[in-house]
Amino acid sequence: MANQNGNMYGLTILSPIIDDPKIKISHDAALRMYLQNMHRHERSPFAKVSGTHICRLVVMDDVVFVGHPAKEEHLASKYLVFNSNLYGGLDAYLEEMARKMPEVVDDIWSHCIGYPGTDPQAFAAYMKKCQIETTFYFADVNYKTVEQTLTALQTKVEFALFIERQQGKSPAELQRAFAAFWARVEKLPPPLAGLKELAKNQAAGV
Amino acid sequence: MVKLNLFDIQGFVARGYTFPRASYLLAEILNYKAGREFVGRVTERVTSAERWDNKPSSTLNIGFTWKGLYKLGLRDATMLSFPDEFYQGMRARNRVLGDVGKNDPANWEPVWTEDIHVWLAIYAQDASELARRCEEIGRLMQETGGARLLYTQQAGAICIDGKATSKEHFGYTDGFGNPDYEGVERKTVPGQGKLTPDGRWAPLATGEFILGYPDEARELPVCPVPYILGINGTYMAYRKLHQNVASFRKYLDDKGNRYPGGKEKLAAKFVGRWMDGTPLESSPDHNDLGLAGDPSRSTDFTYGHDADGGRCPIGSHIRRANPRDAFGFNGDLVNRRRIMRRGLPYGEYTPPDQPARDEDEHGIVFMALGASLFRQFEFVQQQWIEYGNDARLGNDKDLLVGCHNDADDRFVVQGSTDPGNTPFICGGLPNFVEMRGGEYFFLPSLTALRLIADGTVDPR
Repeated sequence: MANQNGNMYGLTILSPIIDDPKIKISHDAALRMYLQNMHRHERSPFAKVSGTHICRLVVMDDVVFVGHPAKEEHLASKYLVFNSNLYGGLDAYLEEMARKMPEVVDDIWSHCIGYPGTDPQAFAAYMKKCQIETTFYFADVNYKTVEQTLTALQTKVEFALFIERQQGKSPAELQRAFAAFWARVEKLPPPLAGLKELAKNQAAGV
Repeated sequence: MVKLNLFDIQGFVARGYTFPRASYLLAEILNYKAGREFVGRVTERVTSAERWDNKPSSTLNIGFTWKGLYKLGLRDATMLSFPDEFYQGMRARNRVLGDVGKNDPANWEPVWTEDIHVWLAIYAQDASELARRCEEIGRLMQETGGARLLYTQQAGAICIDGKATSKEHFGYTDGFGNPDYEGVERKTVPGQGKLTPDGRWAPLATGEFILGYPDEARELPVCPVPYILGINGTYMAYRKLHQNVASFRKYLDDKGNRYPGGKEKLAAKFVGRWMDGTPLESSPDHNDLGLAGDPSRSTDFTYGHDADGGRCPIGSHIRRANPRDAFGFNGDLVNRRRIMRRGLPYGEYTPPDQPARDEDEHGIVFMALGASLFRQFEFVQQQWIEYGNDARLGNDKDLLVGCHNDADDRFVVQGSTDPGNTPFICGGLPNFVEMRGGEYFFLPSLTALRLIADGTVDPR
């Protein structure tokens, strides 16, 4: 089904960018500068929006003419493209964006035609008006929540360290060590969303 | 069927010489006119790929860096037609190649900061012939005034009990096979070309290794302008790799004591071959000298039935460097990532019963040839040696030649339920191999060498 694959939602939104010849710095240029300077990884504002597996913001000026026999065509406006592979329902996700990162939402979508502001319902309704169908997903995203994915990665790193340190021990020693390992690892908080180097965040381990 | 002009291709490109000794000379071209004269005089002596009725006592081959060709007066229209990575050179490509940290170009030997323009390779049967040919080159440099010798790298097969072997300093038998490609006068060796849909082996397209012929995509590889400069030539990545023999032995002893399969098996798991060369995939439980020494069997294996790596670990050196069918699609994903390898050890061999030190002179001169440095050598180095994602190994690197700057680097021996083949994780990896320097060279055809020497490379 388009847009939805299991628990995963593939979102593509094209928001027309305001064309105002009277202002000093055009909206598309200002937006592009803003996006270029956005924080990434764990400091990305999207790290606060819990359903985000991966998202991307792109300013699209026009379609590219690739030569004959293609037809030369042009867009009616410049667009802001927003892609997100998210876990869960669309409305809840868009509303969470408006609630968790209102300043950023304002800074970005205020350059777009018809932006209603950060009222969660109004913002979600606005975004959905600009939605187009999505059929391709980011290949590395699975059907787990972001938190489950991060916890699994953390557990994998910890478990590899555990094996490296404990391999070769007797079954009884191994069982004791594993019990201690699991008692610690089970209680570890999930890593920060967007964290680039998961392994760097590891404790000394058991 | 491609017919190769063996009189025009440099011998070093077409085949790996089996001489026991070599000198690799790095030189600077001093000026355009005398430099061309030097190249002309060398060209008269260059060994082509022509078949030998009697093996000569020595060979001579030549290659140029981008700067070298520029210094020899090739026009801008030609110089701008070379691929980016060749123009940039190996130093500038260090982040692509993972030459960072200890392997950063800032830590390379001083010669690699000089103006290296020419690479000359002399292979010889014995030391006196090698010295004679090196003196001959020195004389040509003097007589023409066209070039200045910057560095001589000596290399030679490791001799054990007075016999030249194909061992490297860690003790592995090295240099099993090279990709078969169309046009070479030899029988296809199982395991050395590409897989056909019915599971047999066929030679790769010539254009994967030599410019001017169709490649695996049925296209002509990118060739500099004019075409005649490129055809029958190829590119080479040259890397001087130091081997920390003491670290390797200590690590293998240490982990081998804890590995249920024992030290020798663990050493085999690192590489994918037992020390004598027996492929793990064909013989996972013990070495088999008969198998290792039989060219029709020593490279004849696939990984398709060993997806879990229980026989040959997924991250072992030979499975990384040439994954064969391991990524599915009948091996199609590797056919454009193959390299021809040439190489010789340097330094005195330290037998296993003698104490070795890391700082002792031990290493290998590794050379990889192919029609595209970017698509072949750089890709293999970046994606398969220094990274593990294609093999679903995350950030893991090649245990042996990877640059381990991260305390979390590890090597996983996948293993099975057999008590002598249990899974095993090797952490705390030191750098067993360190980069000492290297460069990219273009090895032209003899025709192109004559054009360069005459100053008649005309891009129009």
